[in-house]
Amino acid sequence: MYNVDAYLKSLTSNAVKLSKKVQDGIVENTRDLRFENQAHFLDTNEDKMREIRKNLDSRYEKEKLDGLKRLIAMISKGRDVSEFFPDVVKNVASNSLEVRKLVYIYILRYAEQEQDLALLSINTFQKDLSDKNQLIRAMALRVMSGIRVPVISPIVMLGIKKCVTDLSPYVRKIAAHAIPKCYQLDPAQKDALIDIISTMLGDNSTFTIGSVLMAFNQVCPDRLDLIHPQYRKLCKMLVDMDEWGQITAMDLLLRYSRTQFLNPIGKSTAQPAPRAKKEKSVVKSFYSDDDSDVSHHSSDSESDSSEEENNSVDPDLAYLLKCALPLLQSRNSQVVLSVAKLYMHLAPAEDSYKIGRPLVRLLRTHREIQYVVLNNIVAIASQRPYIFDQFYQHFFVRSTDPVFIRNLKLDILTLIATESNITFILRELQEYVKSSNKGFVTQAIEAIGHCASNIPEMAESCLGGLLKLSYSKSDSVAAQSVVAIRRLLQQRPGDSVFMITQLTKALDEISEPLARANIFWLVGQYSSQLPTVAPDVLRKAAKSFTAESESSKLQILTLGGKLVALEGTASKTVSLLFQYVLNMARYDLDYGVRDRARFLRALVYGKQKVASVTVDQDSDENDHENGQQESDSTEQDPQIDEGGFEYSEKELNLSDHIKAILLSEKAAPVQENPSHGREQYKVGSMSLVLNRVVAGYEALPEWPKVQPDPSVRRLAATMEAPGYMNDRTGFGSDSAYAKSRQGQDSGAAGGKGRYDGQAGAYRGAETLDKFLESSDEETSSDEEDDSEEESSDEEEASDEDEEEMSEEESGSGEEDDDDEDEENEEEASSSEEEAILPPKRANGRRG
Amino acid sequence: MIESLFVLSPTGKVIIEKHWHELIPRRVVDFFNDQVSKAMAEGEDVTREDVLPIIASPKYQLINVYRDGLTYLSPVTKEVDPMMVFEFLHRIPDIMQEYFGQVSETVIKENFVTVYQLLEEMMDDGFPLTTEPNSLKEIVPAPNILNKVVNTLGATTSVSTRKMPHGMSNLPWRKAGVKYNSNEIFFDIVEEIDAIVDSTGKAVSCEAHGTIQTNSRLSGMPDLTLSFVNPRLVDDCSFHQSVRFNKWESDKVLSFVPPDGHFRLMSYRVNLPSQQNLPIQVKPSINIGANGAKFDITVSLRNTEGKPVENVVLTLPLHKSTTTLTAQCNVGQYMFDPVGKILRWDVGKVVPRERAPVLSGSFGFGSASSEAAANAGYNIGVEFLINSHSLSGLKVDVLKLFNESYKPYKGVRTMTKAGRYQVRA
Repeated sequence: MYNVDAYLKSLTSNAVKLSKKVQDGIVENTRDLRFENQAHFLDTNEDKMREIRKNLDSRYEKEKLDGLKRLIAMISKGRDVSEFFPDVVKNVASNSLEVRKLVYIYILRYAEQEQDLALLSINTFQKDLSDKNQLIRAMALRVMSGIRVPVISPIVMLGIKKCVTDLSPYVRKIAAHAIPKCYQLDPAQKDALIDIISTMLGDNSTFTIGSVLMAFNQVCPDRLDLIHPQYRKLCKMLVDMDEWGQITAMDLLLRYSRTQFLNPIGKSTAQPAPRAKKEKSVVKSFYSDDDSDVSHHSSDSESDSSEEENNSVDPDLAYLLKCALPLLQSRNSQVVLSVAKLYMHLAPAEDSYKIGRPLVRLLRTHREIQYVVLNNIVAIASQRPYIFDQFYQHFFVRSTDPVFIRNLKLDILTLIATESNITFILRELQEYVKSSNKGFVTQAIEAIGHCASNIPEMAESCLGGLLKLSYSKSDSVAAQSVVAIRRLLQQRPGDSVFMITQLTKALDEISEPLARANIFWLVGQYSSQLPTVAPDVLRKAAKSFTAESESSKLQILTLGGKLVALEGTASKTVSLLFQYVLNMARYDLDYGVRDRARFLRALVYGKQKVASVTVDQDSDENDHENGQQESDSTEQDPQIDEGGFEYSEKELNLSDHIKAILLSEKAAPVQENPSHGREQYKVGSMSLVLNRVVAGYEALPEWPKVQPDPSVRRLAATMEAPGYMNDRTGFGSDSAYAKSRQGQDSGAAGGKGRYDGQAGAYRGAETLDKFLESSDEETSSDEEDDSEEESSDEEEASDEDEEEMSEEESGSGEEDDDDEDEENEEEASSSEEEAILPPKRANGRRG
Repeated sequence: MIESLFVLSPTGKVIIEKHWHELIPRRVVDFFNDQVSKAMAEGEDVTREDVLPIIASPKYQLINVYRDGLTYLSPVTKEVDPMMVFEFLHRIPDIMQEYFGQVSETVIKENFVTVYQLLEEMMDDGFPLTTEPNSLKEIVPAPNILNKVVNTLGATTSVSTRKMPHGMSNLPWRKAGVKYNSNEIFFDIVEEIDAIVDSTGKAVSCEAHGTIQTNSRLSGMPDLTLSFVNPRLVDDCSFHQSVRFNKWESDKVLSFVPPDGHFRLMSYRVNLPSQQNLPIQVKPSINIGANGAKFDITVSLRNTEGKPVENVVLTLPLHKSTTTLTAQCNVGQYMFDPVGKILRWDVGKVVPRERAPVLSGSFGFGSASSEAAANAGYNIGVEFLINSHSLSGLKVDVLKLFNESYKPYKGVRTMTKAGRYQVRA
């Protein structure tokens, strides 16, 4: 009875206590309900600031949190709140994780300024490094290494060493991240850090390895010798790493490969076989300037792309390329671009078409990403246009595309134009001319010109299109097309007569000065082929001379000069017309025009003729003297380089050379793509996008001239096998899981995976085969496991057995021992793994 | 290395700044704002979207992402792969979307402590650390109703211990210890048509892109295998991190352990054989005179398997000199925005074998610049949506679940939408 009473009593008192506690809690926290959102912390008046200190000293967690949140708000607004450092540091050992997290953020931000006070917190971190919870251990190391106080670098070092051997891959990942931070803190630790890195490179967790490679790239990018033993493992793990790790790894492997393998590109660049397309469309040849396309067609049937067996490529390099290939399907656009980088800089040209489609796919994403992709495509297409020529439709401009995207797309279209797609591209370009954006119209017309000069076969239709455009009502369109025509005609003198005649017909309707000037120049330059048209143009020009623009006037003068030079003084009309023009020019407002007129007069008529010219000649004669020296430099068309005319110093009478001076062959302008030069940079780099070297850019190493010893990697495969032993994780990935499976199968695998052939010539290659084989086994066991359709998988597995059999014959007997060792080790390691794998996952995957 | 981040409001003010490496002074933001306004002053039709994503300043390369009115600005000093920076910068609003349901200046201000913690976790000393939403949610709790109530009831200590009972799971993309009473998984197959159609109705370029959006609400560590009836239709795909590449290569099935919640399982491309496949045809005719133009636009259905096309919207940006517009339509309603010079026609639902919607009318140019206006080309943007229709015909065959014993509820929906669909007049 008593017992029950006492029990009831205690119960009630407890209940009272509980209700009181809850009530307190509610009272204390109702404030928070009102302030559900955190925006009020952004309020920064002085009262609130004073309150912060009070809050931080409070014994209620809630108030501490309030104070801290307010501080974080200040930091994020860029305000200096370092004065609170002592108050904040006190809370570093708080029981509440939430409080601590905010304290960490604060400490990381201000530790550099308050070094002495920051040291107070170190003790807590060191203690936390032994916490049971992996997140707390990781956080402690992260904050500790993030505090930029050089004094503590030995402590950070100890922390890293401790965490490197942690069981949790997350903590090890954080440890790897701490390495470059420690290096920055105290560069003297470099050697010790490299030791740690080289140990960590043996880590088999896909979760950790990416960060280790990042540390490697930061601290000792040149110690590629550390990579030898890990190379094949890294290739194999590539597909399972997290996306950022994949990026880092590919960066490293690219550099590695450029120093360790012979150039496989060089052998095949000269004649890259066009890809054999399995689908509907015709085989497209890649565009090339110098030789006929037909020759390429013959080879395509053999170039079956999907097979990795290419004799000219080092098997290790081929393995890397094969491992990277699936990553083209990553959702991370940088991963895709990194694979493209590998293929561009490492793969034989005939393999590189594989990157085309995935890169084009990226055009569906955000415009910033499009921008980078397009820049890279420009660079790639300028070297290997055949990668993209079938995707031309994807580079068609949409009315909603931003300016920078449009221009890049135009560049690409001109680069990838081939005979088979040019009609579509041309039609599309002519569509763009209708745009209301002037700059874009100009670009589009230029693009048509580029296409024509790239593909001589198509030049005619391009010219036709341009000619149509030159009649356009829009002045700028007309002007641009005339300019483009002029450039083209210079490259293809054969077409000129007809085109120029056409242009002169349009002269009455074209009012744009630039266009008119260009037509006058053209007529003058090709006047020898236009015996009737040219004088007529001069006649018209003389009539309208006063109304012309300055640049047209200069060109009219030149035209006159050329005509006279051509016909001598035989034709009275021409000579009279020219003199008329000269006289008009003499009183022109513009001194440039007046000078040109004097110069031409002196040049054409020379001393003996001067008398017959009715105007006063004093000034002209002076100019004549000067003119001699200047004759080279003052030539008419500013856009065109003057051909090399040599005049003899003794012979002062320039009029003997007048033809050579005025009518010399002008070199055709070289059309330089604005994006020219990009291809020299690494694919994907900032320097490529900006087309200039950005600080910190490192060019790719040149291929080695002599094959470096390939056995270094092979050595590794056997020596590093114990690496499997220290795999503690089995981090949820395909291969890690597969390895555990392999343990179970190893009895069976041991039977079939035996090598008893002769020692081959290529040891490196053989061991790679073996390595590949072991990974094949893994995949096959993986398949068996995952799928319910046992029958089909068994078939596959047996197929693979057969393959192995054939390889066995070429295998080496001496390898036998090694091989068995490896298996034993693997067996051992996998059994250990199983113990550590979370039981649920291991079971489930098996079932 | 990504050193710093400034998130700027639409007016160019700093909402939040975060420095992962060394402090970069705020001056850089002023410089950036100057450059933006300079670029936008260059022409009247230059918008914020036309500003270059990488602007060079004497000391920094200003990498910026403009999204939903906010600018994510990251100044970098050294060579870095710009694509990685963009990819990372875009992840930030993605994650915020995941956490808060929407992204805006107010949302960031309301949740800035959470945002700040997220930024802290996503990046470590300039290198991306944890960017998977599922992993992040274990470290930084999302502000859901439950959290708020629990916090308000003063259970802080218990909550914080509860927050990390499992630690990280074995898969970076999946939380450990997920538990649902009813296990369900939904797949949305959404296909978008990108097309440029010329005035005769011929497709200049045309293709369809599909995505499979997944909402997974499954307990434990389910291991799924999704197979299709006709996987060969799928071409050039990209996958979520969880999908095993080699299984797809060998068997054309998607084998994966799904993340918890919403995610994009896969995106793919369908090459369309010809224009036959376009479900909708828009026929514009615009006759331009000296001072104005007469136009009519007809919408007709072609190949929708008898399904109605919904949410049809046509937008026609007119020349800047356009001043007046009169029009009439037999279906839906139209609107002319005299400032932006955009004609927008909300057609609504179009049912097969009914009267084809027509919009006809005329517009006039102002006094000046009618010359240029007369030569301008016109482009009509088209939006539409067809429910339970897949352009490619891709069909899910079976979804198998391993590793867990329950039978989940499975749902698949298909939908075809207009992507970047443009008709030239």
